[in-house]
Amino acid sequence: MKNEFINQINSYLPNVDYCSFRFVSKYTNVLSVTRNVLEPIEIIEDEGLMVTVIHNGGYGYSATSDLTREGILKATEEAKNWSAFTKGNLIHQPTPPADIINNGKYFTHEQDTWAKESNKDKVDYLYEINKALKSKPTISNWGASFRYNKIETLFTDTNGSKFRQNISYILPQLIACAEYKKEIQTRTYGGHAHARQIGYNFIKDSNLIDTATSIANDAIELSMAPNCPSKKCDALIAPDQMILQIHESIGHPLELDRILGDERNYAGSSFVNLDMFGKYKYGSEKLNISFNPEQESELASYNFDDDGTPAQKKYLIQNGLLKKPIGSFYSAQRAEQDYVACSRATSWNRPPIDRMGNINMEPGDTPLSEMIAAIEDGILLETNNSWSIDDYRNKFQFGCEKGTIIKDGEMRGVVKNPNYRGITKDFWHNLAMVGDESSYSILGTANCGKGEPNQTIFVGHATPSCLFKDIDVFGGE
Amino acid sequence: MREYFENITKELFKNIKSNELLIINFDAEESKFVRLNKGKIRQAGSVKQISMTLSLSTKDKRNLKSYVRLNGSFERDISTLIKTLNYLRRELPDLPKDPYMMFSTSVHSTEISSEKQSTSDEVILEHILNSATKLDLVGIFSSGSIYTGLANSLGQKNWHEDYSFSFDYSIYNKNNNAIKLNYSSKKWNKEDYDFILNKGIEKLAILSNPEKKITTGEYRVYLEPSALNEIIDMMAWGGFSYKSNKIGTSPLHLLNKKERKLNELISIDENIKDGLSANFNSDGFIKPEEISMIKKGEFRESLTSPRSSLEYSVVHNAASPSEYPCSIDMRAGSISDDKILETIDKGIYISNLWYLNFSDRNNGRMTGLTRFGCFLVENGKLTAPINTMRFDDSVYSMLGDNLIGLTSSRELLIDSGTYEERSTSSARLPGAIVNNFKMTL
Repeated sequence: MKNEFINQINSYLPNVDYCSFRFVSKYTNVLSVTRNVLEPIEIIEDEGLMVTVIHNGGYGYSATSDLTREGILKATEEAKNWSAFTKGNLIHQPTPPADIINNGKYFTHEQDTWAKESNKDKVDYLYEINKALKSKPTISNWGASFRYNKIETLFTDTNGSKFRQNISYILPQLIACAEYKKEIQTRTYGGHAHARQIGYNFIKDSNLIDTATSIANDAIELSMAPNCPSKKCDALIAPDQMILQIHESIGHPLELDRILGDERNYAGSSFVNLDMFGKYKYGSEKLNISFNPEQESELASYNFDDDGTPAQKKYLIQNGLLKKPIGSFYSAQRAEQDYVACSRATSWNRPPIDRMGNINMEPGDTPLSEMIAAIEDGILLETNNSWSIDDYRNKFQFGCEKGTIIKDGEMRGVVKNPNYRGITKDFWHNLAMVGDESSYSILGTANCGKGEPNQTIFVGHATPSCLFKDIDVFGGE
Repeated sequence: MREYFENITKELFKNIKSNELLIINFDAEESKFVRLNKGKIRQAGSVKQISMTLSLSTKDKRNLKSYVRLNGSFERDISTLIKTLNYLRRELPDLPKDPYMMFSTSVHSTEISSEKQSTSDEVILEHILNSATKLDLVGIFSSGSIYTGLANSLGQKNWHEDYSFSFDYSIYNKNNNAIKLNYSSKKWNKEDYDFILNKGIEKLAILSNPEKKITTGEYRVYLEPSALNEIIDMMAWGGFSYKSNKIGTSPLHLLNKKERKLNELISIDENIKDGLSANFNSDGFIKPEEISMIKKGEFRESLTSPRSSLEYSVVHNAASPSEYPCSIDMRAGSISDDKILETIDKGIYISNLWYLNFSDRNNGRMTGLTRFGCFLVENGKLTAPINTMRFDDSVYSMLGDNLIGLTSSRELLIDSGTYEERSTSSARLPGAIVNNFKMTL
């Protein structure tokens, strides 16, 4: 069926310098039980086609959900018209790729498929989780959900390239809020961090009943806990906060389209400029960051990006030295830089732009217990709940759900509303220890927003726990 | 598009059984997007998309819905939709009853349509490109029609069709300082566009003065309507939602519980009558023209969805399931535009705030950054651009005791957001002068 479709649309490719057809079919299923009641189930079936034309010095696209022959031909004409209109008015005349992909493929490995269990069985499991979340009377709000997304992409172009990719991911989400004397504290699992390209077995293997009990107990403890103190101290940052730190203060500033100014009206620019690659010390010697689409089961693993660029692991920062931007084939042409396969679109109805894929912190050699033991005065920060950074990706402030005071190498009780702030240029130089494989976690977030027109996309981050020195932490009111 | 919607819904309702209710929500857009950088085109294209959500319910309170993307061709789409309907029908018996399911049973049909303007996108874009030849201009032009429809098997039909365009952009100087501008309307007028751009160019000239670095501390500030809108937008993250206030995840739950108050100058309505969004919700209920959410600093009425009304046994006001406002209307104050700088005297003029989030949601405390066109004010005059600063302050301070006043003029800000589809949200609000505004980084 899919081969027939790609062969069929292939025959509609126009006689221009370059044209690609990118068909995307998305299926989404969300099951949520909130306060013991099943919410309306979400089922979304979305498909359409993006036509991109590069011709005679112009560039244009047209996206349509009309997949009839007439619809596709009409969209192709529109893309050609845009290409004619933009000739002479483009900031950069793109040169199409010359390489040919012969029937490329990528499929997420789902050990157990999403459909293996019925909706009823999944909902019953969500009821069980709800029961564990509402373990005590002071839990004021609770809920659990499973999200499944499957994205199939078929690509063909006038070079003769063809590929097919099926990416599917699962995201479990749990929430527990506890109230004590009008103070409400929330603990979650999953939401910002635990999306994976993996089968339904991930849900079953994640031990969500125990997790539910644990976050409910955390929420109750936090609602009665003191505020995080204001001071400068060591910060041991857990993987479910590290991913946000990497995302906002390494991933986004290294996006080449930001450096080239495309995002200045919306998502912002970057303190990084083109002269800094190969010379700038981004952080301490312990900082090693890779663009790694090859990491098994990570959220943004794939073989090709949405321009058809073959994907492979490359280092962006090595031993603290800035090496490469997150720049696609076309952005790299503009900036005369090396590229990575990062041209991605949220769906068929948006054009690809430079995006993070999997941006990972390579593991170090320090066990978690050694990092804790090394702290005289510090705090363990877990699970992001607030993020804010300036439009040049420098001045940041992040908040976490849970803080645990560490004194003389020992955990000494939890604090609520732990926030910390800093400046990217300084922060990564304070990286003192990087956790080993034992704390290395493969995580990912499903909602990264950027672009005009706006797009959200899923990105992966794998990271161990890390220890930073001299961090400015503080609490709430 | 209307005819297609009529034909396809009529055919679907022929397939409904006597114990079933079908609600069809329809969304479509035909949009053009042209992205600019440095006054040149970065990406240009069109998007045509049509979708329907079929929501099938039975009299014993079981419900299932499915969102389907469509071609726009009756023959092809009706077969897809009938398959979807049959799938919903097969799955329904296995689902538990939904105690909070509620839909409109009184038939109330409405229709709002606006005509497409006569000026072509090409003419508009030529003018924009010509105006940008000597500017470092970056942003996006979006235009086209947005269609929203609802039909149910009880006979209700609602249709909302609107054409608009938005040019959301910024102009930069050589020091990387910028002024943010927006021209959104239903009808292009090049004089209006030129007026906005020229005002922006004048402001950009002041940004060419050497930057003054300010330090952390408390400042008297003026928040332009677009900056104040960012703060109101954060308050709306559950703040006006009945459910969020009930379960305590609202940043305004202490205001809702009358534990805290805002300044008496603060009155905020949800004003559907003068907004751009459809006046019906996805369950077929017609929204009230106005809802007073905050009046004179006190919480008045939440946005309450039909689901919340059943969960908490209260009357709903046809809010969307998210209970998020889409047409904010904030009362004006008494400070005339020509008195703004004089009232600040010494402080900071903030055109825009950016990337806000909570630092203590329970207490309505938020953080964010200055962005685009922020100036030092000395002796009642704009003197120099300032460095990017982070603020961290509570809404009960900024719009409470520390609020000096609101401007007498207001701006209509049309949301230029295009996630999934072009937004129809808007906000009409004044500017605000605030004392002791806390800059922390």
